[in-house]
Amino acid sequence: MVALARLTLIHEWRRFLPAMIAVGFAGLLQLLQAALVMGIFSSASVYITGSTADLWVGYPGTQSVNLGRPIDAGVEMRLRMDPDVLMVEPFRWVDADWRGARDTGGVSVFVSGIDAGSQGLMFSRVLPTSLRTRLDEPGSVIVDRADLGSLGVKLGEVASINGHRVQVVGVTSGLRALGGVNVLTSLATARQLEPTVADDRMTYLVAKLRDPSQTEAVAARLGGASAFGSYAVWSAERFSQRSQTYWMFDTGAGAGVLFLAAIVFLVGAVITSQTLVAAVVGSIREYATLNALGIGMAALRKVVMEQALWVGALGLLGSTFLACLLFALAHSHNVPVALSPIAALAWLLLSMTLALVSGLAAIRTLRHADPISLLR
Amino acid sequence: MNHSPFTLQAHGIGKSFISAQVVTPVLHDISLAIRPGELTLIAGPSGCGKSTLLAILSGLQRPDQGCVMALGQDLGALAPRELERFRLQHTGFVFQGFNLFPALTALQQVELPLDYLELPAKEVHCRAVQALEAVGLGSRMQLRPAALSGGEKQRVAIARALAKAPELLFADEPTSALDATNGQIVIDILHRIARERGTTVLCVSHDPRLIRHTDRVLAIEDGRIISDLHPHLRPVNATGPQEHSV
Repeated sequence: MVALARLTLIHEWRRFLPAMIAVGFAGLLQLLQAALVMGIFSSASVYITGSTADLWVGYPGTQSVNLGRPIDAGVEMRLRMDPDVLMVEPFRWVDADWRGARDTGGVSVFVSGIDAGSQGLMFSRVLPTSLRTRLDEPGSVIVDRADLGSLGVKLGEVASINGHRVQVVGVTSGLRALGGVNVLTSLATARQLEPTVADDRMTYLVAKLRDPSQTEAVAARLGGASAFGSYAVWSAERFSQRSQTYWMFDTGAGAGVLFLAAIVFLVGAVITSQTLVAAVVGSIREYATLNALGIGMAALRKVVMEQALWVGALGLLGSTFLACLLFALAHSHNVPVALSPIAALAWLLLSMTLALVSGLAAIRTLRHADPISLLR
Repeated sequence: MNHSPFTLQAHGIGKSFISAQVVTPVLHDISLAIRPGELTLIAGPSGCGKSTLLAILSGLQRPDQGCVMALGQDLGALAPRELERFRLQHTGFVFQGFNLFPALTALQQVELPLDYLELPAKEVHCRAVQALEAVGLGSRMQLRPAALSGGEKQRVAIARALAKAPELLFADEPTSALDATNGQIVIDILHRIARERGTTVLCVSHDPRLIRHTDRVLAIEDGRIISDLHPHLRPVNATGPQEHSV
C-alpha cells in the first residue's frame, strides 16, 4: 500500500510544519499549565505528602490543611488505645508573622510545630533526622532553601516570629507552601509562638498504623467515636486530595485553568485545521484525479485524517521533548511542577482530539475534489 | 454480458447549465456509439461542449436528458457509490494537467490506484512496472514528478490510468500542455493501447495534430455532432470535417 499521507507529510514537511508547531505548542502550554498548577497545589498538601503518617485527625469539616482548627489533645489517648495504631504524634499549626534580619517587612508564615524526635512522622520525607533533632534547641527553625530570600535571612541568622526570637538552624528543600512560607519548629517552640491557644488543644494528631493497608477501615472506626469532643479522621491520601481539591476548585483556580486550556485548544485547532485545509487545497487536483479513477471520497478522507493524526503525533513528540527539558529546568530552580499519570493521559487525549478535530474540519475541503473541475 | 459491438453508447444526450437564472444549453440530443479497440477523438473549438460530453460519457456527470450505456451498464441507474466502483474497475482517465502527487515516485503514482483494487501487493507492483515500461518509463520509475519532463509526467499519468487495465480510457486534452514531439509520443501510446489491448479510448482535444493519428474523429460544434470521420479509411478533408449523421 502506498502510504500517501505519510509520504506527502515527509516530502512537504514545510507545508505541515505550522500545524505540527500549533499542536506542539498548544500541547506544551496545556501540559505546563497543568503541571504548574498541580505542582503549586500539591504544595498545599506538602504537610501530608512529606510525612509518613497514615491517619490525620483534625477538626470536622476541615477542607485544607491550612484551615485546621484546634481539637482536644485528649483524642491522642483515644488513638493510642486502638490496637491498630502504632504511633501518634501531635502537629501544631500556627499562622504567624515573620520579621527577618534584613528589612523584608512582615512575612506571613505557616509555622509547623512537629515532634523533633528522630522517629517523628511529620515531614520525615523532606527532613533528614540529623536536621530534625536540631529543632530540640528552643527557638530553632528550619526553612526551605528557596525561601531564604523572601524571609530575609541566611542560615544561622536570627529572626523573629510573632515577636519571639528564632534562629534558622537548617535549610531543606521540598517545603515551599502556597500563600505563605513554611517554617518548621519543635512542638514546644510552636506552643510559645501561640500563647492564646489552650494547652489541651492541638491542631492535628497524626498516626502511624501497624498495617497501612487497613487505613481506610481504621479511619472509619476511629472517626465514629465522639468521647473527646468533635474531631474527624481521614486517611493521609484522602486528606491530601481534600486539600488539593479545595485549592483547585474552591478557590476558582481550577476554573481559570480549564478556561485557559479551552482557549489554547481553540487557537491550536484553528491554526492546525487551516494548515491542513491548505494542504488539502494544494493537492485538490490530485485528489480529484484519484476520485475520477474510482477511489471513493471515504478513502480520500482517510488520507486527510491520517495526515492529521501524524501531525498530532509529531507535534506531541516535540512538545513532550520540550516539556521534559522545561520540567528539568523547573526542578533545578525549585519551581513546583507535578504531573500525575491521569493528567498526562488526559493531556495526550486532549492533544490528539485537537488534531482529530482539525482533520475533520479539513476533510470538508475535499468536497472541492470534483473530477469535473479537471475537465476544460 | 454485453453482446453489442459497442462498448460506449449515448442516446439523446442533452445538458444545460444554469448561471444566474440563465439557462445555457451545452449539448443537444447527442447520440453516438463507440467501438472497442479504437482511438476515437472528439474534436471541436473551445466551448463547444466536448468536455461536458466526455464528463457525461465517463460517468462523472449526469445528463439532463438521454442515457449512457457503458459496457452494457446504464450509468444513470447507478448510485454515486456504484459509479465510483464502476470507474474504479472499468475506466481510466488522463487529464490535461498531469495531477501527480509531488511526494510520490512514478512507480508509487501508478501503484496508488491499484492498491484500492484489493490486488495482492506483488501484482500491484508487477502491473505498475509493466504499465510504466509500456509508456517507455521503465528506467525512470523511481523519479518524482519534479525530476520528470512534461511529456514524461503525462506518460506517468497514462501509466496510472493504464495499470488498472480499464476497458474504457478517457483522455481530456492530453497533449495540450506538451510540445509536438511529446504530444506525438502521447497520442501514439494512446493509439497503441486501443489497438493492442482492445481498450475503448475516447479522447477530447482541439489539437488538430491529433486527427491523423486517430481511428475516428467526431467533430462537435455548438453542442451537436457535425461530422463522424474515419481518417484512415478516407483522406482527411482539408477544408474541414464533413457533415455526417450519427
